Parts: sequence; structure tokens; C-alpha cells
Amino acid sequence: MSAGLDNLRHVVVLMMENRSFDHMLGCLTADDSRIVGLSGNESNLDTQNEPVKVQPLAQFQGQLDPDPDHHFPSVHQQLFNGQYAPGAVPTMDGFVLNYYQQQKDVNHSHKIMYYFTKDKLPVLSTLARSFAVFNGWFASIPGPTICNRAFAHYGTSFGQVSMDVFYYSKEYLSIYERMVKNGHTAKLYYFDQSSSTMEVVNLLQDQPQLFGTYPQFLDDCKQGTLPEYSFIEPNYSDHEGDDGGEQLASDQHPDHDVQAGEYFIASIYNAIHQNPDLWKSTALLIVYDEHGGIHDHVPPPACTPDGFVANPQATGVPGLSFAFDRLGVRVPAILVSPWIPKATVVTGPEDKVNGRTFEHASIPGTVTSHFLGNYDARSPREKAAPAFLDLLSDQMRPETDVPVFNLG
Amino acid sequence: MPTPDNVVYVPKPSPASFDKNRPLARNLLLQAHVQHIHEAESHLPPERQSGIDPGSIRTEGEAADYIRRVTYALHPEGARRERVRRAT
Repeated sequence: MSAGLDNLRHVVVLMMENRSFDHMLGCLTADDSRIVGLSGNESNLDTQNEPVKVQPLAQFQGQLDPDPDHHFPSVHQQLFNGQYAPGAVPTMDGFVLNYYQQQKDVNHSHKIMYYFTKDKLPVLSTLARSFAVFNGWFASIPGPTICNRAFAHYGTSFGQVSMDVFYYSKEYLSIYERMVKNGHTAKLYYFDQSSSTMEVVNLLQDQPQLFGTYPQFLDDCKQGTLPEYSFIEPNYSDHEGDDGGEQLASDQHPDHDVQAGEYFIASIYNAIHQNPDLWKSTALLIVYDEHGGIHDHVPPPACTPDGFVANPQATGVPGLSFAFDRLGVRVPAILVSPWIPKATVVTGPEDKVNGRTFEHASIPGTVTSHFLGNYDARSPREKAAPAFLDLLSDQMRPETDVPVFNLG
Repeated sequence: MPTPDNVVYVPKPSPASFDKNRPLARNLLLQAHVQHIHEAESHLPPERQSGIDPGSIRTEGEAADYIRRVTYALHPEGARRERVRRAT
């Protein structure tokens, strides 16, 4: 066991919303060729049969409105563009054509190929370059938020591929319930009551004791009372706070302000970093739930089937059942800890020898393995998902070697 | 210890980006969230329900207000701890 792992007392996961790897971090290939981002030549055809290259023109807000469709049928088009066959490798060339359907505006459909330059995302790009960035972290399902977030909580979506309400099977407990039942501590922190949690049906209404709020997270960091496992949800809406002040959505879900999300991520990092005892004993994973319909060029790989099958009525694609045997689109994922060597790049499918493919089931899988050890009542996907805490090394980096975010 | 080399300035987002009147129809996630909140509310005793028809919600701000009321009914501790924090 490494010294970093030996010192680890807390795992914190911050799950943001709806941005693909290439959209947020694709520019970093220019700085470090080990990062599997964009060369600038990746393209999709538009409805005029003209190639549309990726372009570094992404703005914080105002481009991806309406919200790009990312329900199962649309993602199916984005991945295969009508070329689907069982076992086929996704072609990743249907993003522009799919987005066109929402506005019927050729120029507008090109914006789905835009990506950010690193100067626009100082927090995410700094963390990616300073700690560990994953080349191969994929959404768990080629579909929308709720079912993908379920994988982070339960290691499965219990056969769901949509946003519909569903009730989970007690066969697989949430990671929070597993922790608490075994004498450990865990909490989901939602932003505030106007934002609430996406786990309202399955957890909040029956087990409110598992929840806290973002201000409580900040307090828990300051007081040294953070649970062993914490999951943080950003603010999902623009709304007025109890004091009448404006609360800007920080989830980065289109068309919310991406810069507000940057600020939020920095605040989470700072809260942990500013408590020296917490800093040396915590690993923070920043990850996105799914791609939100936005372009990424890496084909999602096949994966261990989940033991469930969504029929054609559930998938919304005529004649297509889905056995949860292929992952969703690649998303940004960064692991932060002072025990991670600077500029670590975790190789993915591009590395045929040592590459590892992560997905959201890796979250409960990793937390369970670290805190609980052997635990059999887990989904096949979670059992197969690789853990990520082996990235912690024996050397703790000095303060002069880690970023400090000055919040303006 | 911060040095000029490792301090990263993070600008505040523009207040102009705030729009609580953004149509709910433009955000697939918030639409679903309202449905989930409504499902949870339906299990509350009538006297603790909001009386709001989710079908009448048109904007992000209205959705947030509805979500706040139901979340308070489900998890009043969250609001209480927040008030204590502000007071101290």
C-alpha cells in the first residue's frame, strides 16, 4: 500500500453536468501529447454534406441553446449515424446532424463541435495538468443524466436508460447505505433546497439523514467533520436564495454559465485544500455525468453487460434492445490529491497494453473496495469497473507544487 | 505556500448570465427534476404538499421555487442547518 493510500481517510466526488471530454479538455493535447484530445482535424458532416471541423470557439453561455438532445435515440444517432450493427464500433459522426434536428439551422448545428481553449477554463485545465486526468472515463450509458448518475450511486441503473422516475431494487444498495450499514460515514451534499438532489425519489424522500447542503460541506471541511465518503451536486438552476440574492446555476448544463461551474469547482478544491489535515487525507474526483449531446471523437467501448436489458420501447429506437454492454460518450474526469504525481495521464483505450476504461460504476466500486473491502452484493458492471485510488503515490507534493485558486 | 507560480485567478461569472426566467422547456434535466420532485411530493401527507401544479411551471425560477418547497418538506434539516450557519 502506498503512503498516499495509507493516509487516505476521505473520498469526495463532484459530479458536474453534460459536457464531453473533447469539449472541455480536448485542447490540452497541444500541451501534452499523452492526453487524447483534439488534433483539430476531427470532423462531422452537416446536412449540406460539408465537413464541420472542431473549432476552439466554445463560449460560457449562449451557444448550446436549446439543450442538445441526449436521450438514448439521439445519442444512438450521434454515435452511429445510421451505421449501427451489433458489435459495430461507433463512428462518432452524427453529432452535427443530430443537433440540426432541433433548430433546422445549419450554422447553429456546427456549434456542437466547438471546444474550449484552456484560458477559458483555468480551473479545470489547471487541475487536469497538475493532478491526474483520465483519457478513458466514459459515461455509463449512451443516454441522459438520471440513469448515468444512478451508476455513480448504485453501480447500475437497474435497467433504466431514460430520465423517467424509477425505484431501485434493494438487491444493490447505494454506496451511502452500504457505508452507513457497515459503521462508516457517507453523505450527499446538494447545493441548496431550491436546487435539491437528483436522488429525491430513491434516497431523499426515505433517507434524508444521508443528505447535507453545500454550505454544510464547506463547514464540514473547515471543522474537520467531513464523512469518509462525500458526493457533491452542483446548483442546477438560476434562482433566488433565501436571502434574496441571485444563485447562479453552477452545473455547467447547457445553457448555464460554464464559468459559474469553474468557480464552483474551485470552491470545492479550496475548501479541502485550506484544511491541511483534510488536504493530505482526501482524494477529490471531479467528473461529468454524461456528454450532453456534445461532440467527442473517441468511440465508447464495449463493457461487461449489466444483467439488465432495455427493450425497444424503453430505448426509443425501433427494434433495438440494449443490454448495457456498451458505454456512453467520454467525459472529463480528474483525480486530485497531493499524493498524485504532477501531470499524471491515466491511459485509456488508446493504450492496448496498460490502458484502463473507467465509468461511473468505478465510483461505488472504488469507495466500497477501499472502505469496506470484500462486498459481494454489487452489480456485474461495478464488479468489473476498475478502481482509481492506486494513482496515489508514496510522495506527498509540497504546497509550492500544487495550485491555489484565488476566487475573484 | 502560494507563490506567484501556483496561484490561479478565477474570475467571477458575470451577473448578466443570471436568468431565472429561462424557459423550463429548454432544459431537459430540470424538466425531469420537476417530475421526480412531484413523484416524491405525491407520497407526502396532503397538508405537507405544496398545492402547486407542476404542469403550470414555465420557468427555471418557478421550478426552483417548487423544488424548494417540496425539498423543505422532505428535508427540513437542510434549511435549519443553513440558518444556523448563517447566524454563527
